[in-house]
Amino acid sequence: MRNLWIIARREYLERIRTKAFIITTILIPALMGGSLFVPMLLLSGGGSSKHLVLVASDRHMAEVISQQLNRLKEEENEQNAALLSQREVPKREMPRAARFQIDIDTDTSAEQRQALAEKVKNKKIDGAIWATADALTARKVAYITRDTSSLSDQMEVASAVSHAVQLELLRSKGLSEADIQASQKRVEVTAENPTGAKNGNPVLNLLAMIFLVIVLFMSVLLYGVQVMQAVLEEKSSRVMEVMLSTAQPKELMAGKIVGVGAVGLTQVAIWIAAGAAFSFSSLAANSAQLKDLISWKVVLGFPLFYLLGYVFYSALYAAIGAMCNSQQEAQQVQQLVTIPLMIPAFLISYVAQNPGAPLSVAASMIPLTSPLIMYARIALNSAAPWEIAISLVLQLVAIYVVILLSAKIYRVGILMYGKKPTLPEIMKWIKYA
Amino acid sequence: MNTIELNKVRKTYDHFVAVDDLTFNIEAGSVFGLLGPNGAGKTSSIRMMIGITAPDSGEIRLFGKPFERKSLEKVGYLPEERGLYKKMKVIDQLIFLGQLHGLDAGPARQKAAAWCERLEISDWLQKKVEELSKGMQQKIQFIATLMHDPDFIVMDEPFSGLDPVNVVLLKDVLLELKAKGKTILFSTHQMDTVEKLCDSICLIDHGKSVLQGDLKQIKARYGKNNVQIEYEGDGNFLQQSKLVGAYNNYGNYVEVRLAAGADSQELLRAVAERSRVSKFELMEPSLEEIFIETVGKTNA
Repeated sequence: MRNLWIIARREYLERIRTKAFIITTILIPALMGGSLFVPMLLLSGGGSSKHLVLVASDRHMAEVISQQLNRLKEEENEQNAALLSQREVPKREMPRAARFQIDIDTDTSAEQRQALAEKVKNKKIDGAIWATADALTARKVAYITRDTSSLSDQMEVASAVSHAVQLELLRSKGLSEADIQASQKRVEVTAENPTGAKNGNPVLNLLAMIFLVIVLFMSVLLYGVQVMQAVLEEKSSRVMEVMLSTAQPKELMAGKIVGVGAVGLTQVAIWIAAGAAFSFSSLAANSAQLKDLISWKVVLGFPLFYLLGYVFYSALYAAIGAMCNSQQEAQQVQQLVTIPLMIPAFLISYVAQNPGAPLSVAASMIPLTSPLIMYARIALNSAAPWEIAISLVLQLVAIYVVILLSAKIYRVGILMYGKKPTLPEIMKWIKYA
Repeated sequence: MNTIELNKVRKTYDHFVAVDDLTFNIEAGSVFGLLGPNGAGKTSSIRMMIGITAPDSGEIRLFGKPFERKSLEKVGYLPEERGLYKKMKVIDQLIFLGQLHGLDAGPARQKAAAWCERLEISDWLQKKVEELSKGMQQKIQFIATLMHDPDFIVMDEPFSGLDPVNVVLLKDVLLELKAKGKTILFSTHQMDTVEKLCDSICLIDHGKSVLQGDLKQIKARYGKNNVQIEYEGDGNFLQQSKLVGAYNNYGNYVEVRLAAGADSQELLRAVAERSRVSKFELMEPSLEEIFIETVGKTNA
């Protein structure tokens, strides 16, 4: 035991002093957060205004469509702003929102269409909507644009034109302007779980969950691989030989896992402390909303699932480090462990949308994926307590088995130099008493 | 009292017999040489002595008791393949290794500093290991092996890669330790070192002991039938001479062993007839010769 702590302590102190530790502490949340939240900020922070030409057979119809387009854009801007902060900001203080700049044209000749297409091509305008009377009757409107793949633009145009056609139809039936307004009012939907608890803002919740799971994934991967590299370095520099004369292989392996793991835990603690400081400071846009978003389960779950995932994977990485002779060799073999660790990263968007689906539940139970997926489901408030309990028990059992097997591979592997062991050889190592 | 006793120790890896019924004792306070060609089973034997691996059969007694990990606090092991943490400071590294050997941080620091003084590397205590030359790293390793004041010192090729000045420095340290009653085990190919330092030896080949005992007695057994000759002129006839059993040309001189029943004076006359002899000395065989001959015989 004494040796274990001496080894763990060395591992911890040597790592925590490095620049790499400081850099990853800042960079991981910054990069992950940046890649998720910056696009949203850009979206609401004005964005670019698009210059469109709207061609219709009569000026009145064109104006109705153009109104609808701008109304949609405004609603969208409001929603985006609301997602980011619930502060009641007077409309005029809102960041300048994206709007359409719309020119109306009633020339429906084929030459005009040709000319508009040419203008779009030359980037004189961003798009042209071909909403002639014929097109509207046929319910088939052409939208000439350079970004034919931009689904959101197409949906906006479709929605605006449909609305305009509806409006005109209602007006032609003699409905009052008030009735028409009432019929157009949006219905808001809020999701509730069976116990009646609201889930806060679903989009923000989702983003926060993905952010946390990805940071968790990065931490497990980063520190798991570090264990492998530490073992490999000891083996290739032959420090291992010196260490073995005083410490037992299991002490070496456990000391590595504990020491490197503590570095990761320190990093997690720094993140939590920074997050807490941020949410209590006035910097936070709305601390009530933040608390709503990040429950104690999510905060405590992070170090817990980090530890579970880390211990499981680092034991496997330690075994790989012990059986290989060089970084290059380990590069290939480590895929065996890294790929299962990546599975949750691919699954996460599915789980986010279907947290209660059988696949999500199964992934949150199977120890290879469960640390990340169970945490994701907890963050989404979709895991029942008994599910969490089963998942934890299964993980602990899996960790016990993996450590037992890895320790055996480790014990033999660290004394083996030369050729890479084959699978049957590794099986034989495991069978050694 | 024996520091370590091996009794019919056997170790196999898969179907390869690394150590085959090896039996020897090392008397406390003596210097013992474990010799043998590459792959003879020296490192495998040492690993079993200090509990890195366990023998398949046979018995090992360390300090008079069956092996227990507690005993390792009194053992210092310098492996042949050795290394240090490159990014670590010399002093931190020594304290760390000292702690693993059972010292507390404070005493470990003092001992490390004292040893560095003794081995003339005090200036490097605060440097990182990667900044040190190979020879200096060797010395650090040496200190790491000795700083916890072990009673049984195991050194696998301790002098490889060292310059002559440092070899003398370390050899003196080892002799000092011997005078203090420490037991030292050398495993090496460098026969001249063994010859100068060892009291007794065990020569192993293919995992088996092929020759063991007191070094002086072994040499005496081979008798003074070796001749070292320095001469000017043509010495090739020596190879064909009936008087010569074995012939070894070292460039500046030749060493021959007399054939059974041959008279050394007859050889001297024969050599003197054909060349100018500047040196003709009857001597015991060198350990190297015994080594080559014994191993050659078992391989034949």
